Amino acid sequence: MDQLLLAYENGAVGLFIRESIWGYPIVLASHAVGMATVLGVAWMLCLRVLGFAKGISITSLDKLFIVGWAGFLLNLISGIVLFAGSASVYFYQWTFQLKLGAIILGGILLKFVMNEVRANGSKQKLLAALCAFCWLVGVVTGRLMAYVTA
Amino acid sequence: MNQEALAAWFESGIVHNWMVELYWMFPLMETFHFVGLCLLFGSLLVVDGRVLGIGKFINMNEAMKFIPLAIGAFAINLVSGYTFLTADPNAYLGNIGFQWKIGLIAVAGINALWFWFGEHKELCQLADGADAPFRAKVIALLSVILWVIIIVLGRLIPYTDF
Repeated sequence: MDQLLLAYENGAVGLFIRESIWGYPIVLASHAVGMATVLGVAWMLCLRVLGFAKGISITSLDKLFIVGWAGFLLNLISGIVLFAGSASVYFYQWTFQLKLGAIILGGILLKFVMNEVRANGSKQKLLAALCAFCWLVGVVTGRLMAYVTA
Repeated sequence: MNQEALAAWFESGIVHNWMVELYWMFPLMETFHFVGLCLLFGSLLVVDGRVLGIGKFINMNEAMKFIPLAIGAFAINLVSGYTFLTADPNAYLGNIGFQWKIGLIAVAGINALWFWFGEHKELCQLADGADAPFRAKVIALLSVILWVIIIVLGRLIPYTDF
């Protein structure tokens, strides 16, 4: 695994992100825009399911998922590029591991929330609260990656 | 007031001491700033997305409930942003990225006022699925573009200190 991480880190992407003057800031800024988009859409949907702005039908709100997916794609790409900056370090940081786990779980839960809404199930709010929390963990741990380097 | 006097004013408050002396204050405030920006941008996406027609069937009247949420989120970011500024005012005040960011926030604010006082009433009567007037679409598109640029500029501040 270490070999793989180092190979990626020392490859073209890693070199670009560490050495190009504007490369890192621009990819970092894209990552922030993608974050705002994904989290924005996910949280607004969770809030609606939790009972905020009840007059909006949830199926009309899920049209925003297109925008959310665009943000997710942007962050997947920018995240993979940023990861090359020091892949062998990030990979072992618990903040990074938790961030990745929270994002995957948050995404799966979003799907569960929508399924539960369509089935008119009783666990809608519980799932929405859990989903919103996962995304919160994703942001917090992402920010902490810069500070908690263990 | 010149930059030095303004910087001295920011540094004179107790918040400056907290930001400098407590190592966890900066990351904590940054976290609030990030959560706030997601809430702000997300609520704008609902309102602007409806006006632009991405979510045509979102009830316009109900979508307006996201505006107070946007204002609340903006307040979180105003306060957390203020704490960064007090920590090291000279690093921000003379920074071109920061200056543009603040300028564009003012423009976005004027754009929001135009939306509220010029379009809000008419939009609230919009039937689900109906197209918003062209003027309103321009404002909504401008709002999204402005906030994207504001987020980008915010992230670039550490790199625009020329």
